[in-house]
Amino acid sequence: MTLKVTVIGSYPRPPAEGGEFRLRKTLQALDRGEVGPEDISAAEDALTEEILKEQAELGVDLAADPQVRWDDLLTPVAERLDGFSLSGLLRFFDNNTYFRQPVVKAAISREQPLLVDEFRFASQKSPVPVKAVLCGPYTLAALSKDEFYGDGAALLADLATALNQEARDLQAAGATVIQFDEPALAAVPGQPPGDLDAFAEVAPVLIEGIESTTILGTYFGDVGAHGRRFYELPFGGFGLDFVAGPANFDAVEGFPGDRILQAGIADARNTKLESVEQLRSIVERLRGHAEELWVAPSSGLEFLPREAAQRKLQRLAEVKS
Amino acid sequence: MTEGLLTTSVGSLPKPDYILKARADFAKGRISREDLRKLERQSTEEWVRFQDEIGIDVIVDGEQYRGDMVAFFAEELPGFTKGGLVRSYGNRYYRKPVATGEIVREHPITLEWWKLAQSLTDKPVKGMLTGPYTICDWSFNEHYETREDLVMALAEVIHQEALDLKAAGARYIQVDEPAVSTRMDELDLAIKALGVVTEGLEGVHTITHICYGDFHNAYPKMLELPVDQIDLEMTNSNYDLLDTFRESPFTKSIGLGVVDSHSHRIESVDEVVDGIERTLELIPPERVFVDPDCGLKTRTVEEAKDKLKVVVEAVRRVKSDR
Repeated sequence: MTLKVTVIGSYPRPPAEGGEFRLRKTLQALDRGEVGPEDISAAEDALTEEILKEQAELGVDLAADPQVRWDDLLTPVAERLDGFSLSGLLRFFDNNTYFRQPVVKAAISREQPLLVDEFRFASQKSPVPVKAVLCGPYTLAALSKDEFYGDGAALLADLATALNQEARDLQAAGATVIQFDEPALAAVPGQPPGDLDAFAEVAPVLIEGIESTTILGTYFGDVGAHGRRFYELPFGGFGLDFVAGPANFDAVEGFPGDRILQAGIADARNTKLESVEQLRSIVERLRGHAEELWVAPSSGLEFLPREAAQRKLQRLAEVKS
Repeated sequence: MTEGLLTTSVGSLPKPDYILKARADFAKGRISREDLRKLERQSTEEWVRFQDEIGIDVIVDGEQYRGDMVAFFAEELPGFTKGGLVRSYGNRYYRKPVATGEIVREHPITLEWWKLAQSLTDKPVKGMLTGPYTICDWSFNEHYETREDLVMALAEVIHQEALDLKAAGARYIQVDEPAVSTRMDELDLAIKALGVVTEGLEGVHTITHICYGDFHNAYPKMLELPVDQIDLEMTNSNYDLLDTFRESPFTKSIGLGVVDSHSHRIESVDEVVDGIERTLELIPPERVFVDPDCGLKTRTVEEAKDKLKVVVEAVRRVKSDR
């Protein structure tokens, strides 16, 4: 069995206690009109590079752009696609953080690359391979307000087409792993699970022409409600959150052994540090289910302070060694 | 003259520049805690007098002495450890506290500030507390076995604080629970915890403020929250909730947010009048309290003052037209 340490995506922007928080200061200076957008880009570049080096040093085998340029998971995609405008802030699932709600005002189309430059930059700067991560069509549709289509299937189909174009460009830019984040497919506590049938309709469109490894990333809940049909979706691997979704321990029965299991096993939303023994025992439970097991934090690490995020990654690396 | 339609604020008001500077100086050890307190008392007095002068009916102290609404309480409660910075949105960050031991209250937390504000005005000053569910939801938990255990421990300490405010003469006590709309599966827990907080507060008008959520899912279950008034941000959602209230009546008093707390734009009196009038079609004026959507601390001092003046002016016009 292959065991790798990976991340889900986001990473804390603040420095460890006592460090200089250049990006925050530069953004504040922008508000005061003292610096320009190029200074923001430079600060974002520097922080991205710093985090990618840090992740590699902590033992991450497969990194991701730490999303320090993003306000939330949806905005970078929604604001660059044609057809969306952005509205008020809503809570992002069961977190004390928000997303700006995209509003569909016209037919969705992709007239320009969305995240290709960011991916290129990250893969150039990272000492280890980098996967491309982007919000999937189902979550984007589920969290948006549709004022144009009036037909969920049509909106989802256009989003899948647009994001497929993006995935093709990411592949051309060298992404050998592409992760589509679909937290809305999981049963997040207090919310019903996503509509698997609706997503299954567009999943083939989403990955058409993609030879790179595709990962369907879920987190904040479990996928138990979908049964084995979840694993019939045409992805190279599936991301499951075993912290927020303990029911995934049951749902992993029937996992197709030839796919990658990306297992979120360290709590990315609480500072309490798991012991190596705890994590090892989870790995033992999951070991038989897939030939390739990628262990990861349960979601993006941005919910933690920097030091706590570092400790979580370090722990995951210790489990591997 | 129409009874009711009392004007108020949700809680926080912007800190003037001299407070921002003093807080930074204190953090760097350049001034003493007492120096900072003196300035915080000064700006509290300025805000109380401002509200009094423009005709706000139920006054708040403006929370000049608080940073984050959860961290402020956590810092005063043994059992919590100061946490690191976590982003809330955009370029805004907060220190997320960590529950590392048993949470207890060793001394009153807000009482002296309430007494100060009340000594400056003849109008009632609201006691302002953060609710147990929200403190739990916005903290890390390294000590309690379950979230419920932490929430109920917090309910007890916030209850003690509420009793102290009542004993001191507070006629309005607000327990902010912005996180209540986060998880529908835990709404019962939030209701149970708020029940502990508001126990024994007979004679006090109790309020809870909720924001940023999918209220449509939480309604009408939300009406089970054991308080007299629920304060809601109506502007941020273009008064969408009124349609919901048409189907299932809003049975409590409402805190009606009529100006956007997160926008620089100063609303016109006309649009605020329109929002109040639409609400009065569904809820009688005795049960309508008019205020901004949320705390105004992210606005500039001038923006906050202008927004509050619009609130007062709009209510005056509605009352005179009836």
